[in-house]
Amino acid sequence: MGRVSGLVMQLGENTQPHVTHILVGGPTLWERVHPALARLSIRLAKLWGPKRDEPVKIPWSRVITVGKDVKLDVKAKDTGALDWEIWVARHIIERIPGGGSEEEE
Amino acid sequence: MSTKRLAVLSLLVAVACKQPSATERMDSAISWIGTAGLTGEAWLRHTTPDKFTAQTLEQSHSSLLDISTGLFKALPAGIDSAALDSALTRSNEHIGLMAKLVEQKNSPDFRSMLDSLYADEKVVKQFADSVEAKDKQ
Amino acid sequence: MKKILQLTLGIITSVGGFLEIGSVTTSVQAGAQFGYKLLWPIFFGTICLVFLIEMSGRLAAVSKHTIVDAMRERFGFPFFFMVLVGITIVAFLVLIAELGGIGFALQILTGIGFPWWALPVSLAVWLLMWKGSFSLIENGASFLGLITISFVVAAIKLHPDWSGVASGLLPRMPQTDKARYGFLTVSILGATISPYLMYFYSSGAIEEKWDRSYIMMNRIIAGFGMFFGGFLAMAVLIAAALALQPRGIQVDTFPQAALLMTTALPKWGFYFFAFSMLFACFGAALEFSLAIAYFFAQGFGWSWSEDLEPSKDSRFAFVYTLIILLAAVPLMLHVDPVQVTMISMALTSATLPLAIVPFLFLMNDPIYLDKHRNGWLSNSIVMIVIVISFVLAIISIPLQLIGG
Repeated sequence: MGRVSGLVMQLGENTQPHVTHILVGGPTLWERVHPALARLSIRLAKLWGPKRDEPVKIPWSRVITVGKDVKLDVKAKDTGALDWEIWVARHIIERIPGGGSEEEE
Repeated sequence: MSTKRLAVLSLLVAVACKQPSATERMDSAISWIGTAGLTGEAWLRHTTPDKFTAQTLEQSHSSLLDISTGLFKALPAGIDSAALDSALTRSNEHIGLMAKLVEQKNSPDFRSMLDSLYADEKVVKQFADSVEAKDKQ
Repeated sequence: MKKILQLTLGIITSVGGFLEIGSVTTSVQAGAQFGYKLLWPIFFGTICLVFLIEMSGRLAAVSKHTIVDAMRERFGFPFFFMVLVGITIVAFLVLIAELGGIGFALQILTGIGFPWWALPVSLAVWLLMWKGSFSLIENGASFLGLITISFVVAAIKLHPDWSGVASGLLPRMPQTDKARYGFLTVSILGATISPYLMYFYSSGAIEEKWDRSYIMMNRIIAGFGMFFGGFLAMAVLIAAALALQPRGIQVDTFPQAALLMTTALPKWGFYFFAFSMLFACFGAALEFSLAIAYFFAQGFGWSWSEDLEPSKDSRFAFVYTLIILLAAVPLMLHVDPVQVTMISMALTSATLPLAIVPFLFLMNDPIYLDKHRNGWLSNSIVMIVIVISFVLAIISIPLQLIGG
């Protein structure tokens, strides 16, 4: 469904620092290359694409295993990580003949 | 993005096409005469399309024209430029005529043109050798 | 039995898919100008390619990850992004060259200029990507590409001097035109050691669901397929050396390259050449567009498969749609495909370390390859060739640009 682009950690007074969420896609990713790219991606996302303000956050409690892949017990579509995939499908690909439909399973 | 790349690319190509030396110009002249010769031979065997033949001959013709215009300024001293000029002009005329003969499908005349082109080619090759020798000095 | 069939198919597709405009143009120019002297970069490049392709297949079979997947994971996004930009620019140039090659083949067949073919050709490539399956693209294109074997027939019919051929397999410095010699060496290495072929091959292994039981088969396919493929490129060079060099013909344009076959095979040579280029470049255009789309999709973690309906992997489909159509634009504006080919092949050489060095790290990583890691031999051979081609590229590209 996507790649982990960042982690959210919590530092508590009495607890050890621990990971609370994993982040998928979006500005977090570009921030890692250069902050300017992150700003650009936020601005572009306001013009086109699926509108969402928050980055995709998945709580650590939904993580099943971490190996070469991170396995989650959520449906990919429900997390919002596939918003772009669906947006491109609806707005561009389905409008070209023979593109098929994103919704049929 | 792609226009930018295109600009960079055309810049590269422009830089790549810097002034060639007289030897290099002679080499390309021979290359185009040879191209016309091989193209002509293949056409006489009826194994290539007329359009391909005519187009390649026309391209040889115009490339040769370009080369000879620049050549005489770059020629080293001691080369009989009048004789070279007439050999190049003659071969280029022959190539131009060959292109027309293809359209008329006139093989006999085409063959005799090709033969005279070979005679010119020999002369141009001799000139190329002496230009190269002079260029190296 | 099924494995033997797959094996044969794998070798055939590697051979049929080997030649493309890059390898043909560089080999023809090298043969026409330097005779057999530049056989060695094809030879060494092919050896290096055999190892690299074997590694790509092994990585996919053992780790179930493509090269790009693993690279993104192991080296992080910023590094991946740098490679992405470099590879995409060069691969896009190569795609332009391939589309130009198809257009040129159609031009010499019909007399209609290649700029007119750019758009219809790119639409045809796109349509096959849109509707076709992975196996149709791989097997169909490569079977048609088998016509390129005619270059071997041509080379043999011109009666090469075999001892001259053998001595061309070892590097030697020429007396004259050193800059040109260096540039052609670099372009040949770039045309032979194609990182895009690695991306395509490893993605193909995933599309075909290879596992560890394929390791031996992968080894044989990579070895034989690439080796025979390199043979074809050498045949092109030998035929050019025999047919064009004695006449002093330098190949500045594509129609001149066609003459190499009209001499060797007087009757059908012209058509063999035209259709060889048509099918070879068409297959390569498909492979390159797929390789670029795979690169994006795998790096960003999008869903991807050539066998899915476009709307099921919309971002993947969008990438190839966009690049195929964009690649037609420069051709419509009369950019010369031969020039683009030579420049993009040299740039491929210069960007090889970017693509190959991180890949070698992966191939030695037990997390991905377990006990199937690289041995010292394959590591050192690949490193040596990569370093040579990089150093040559750095020296000769500026020289070529200044010297003309």
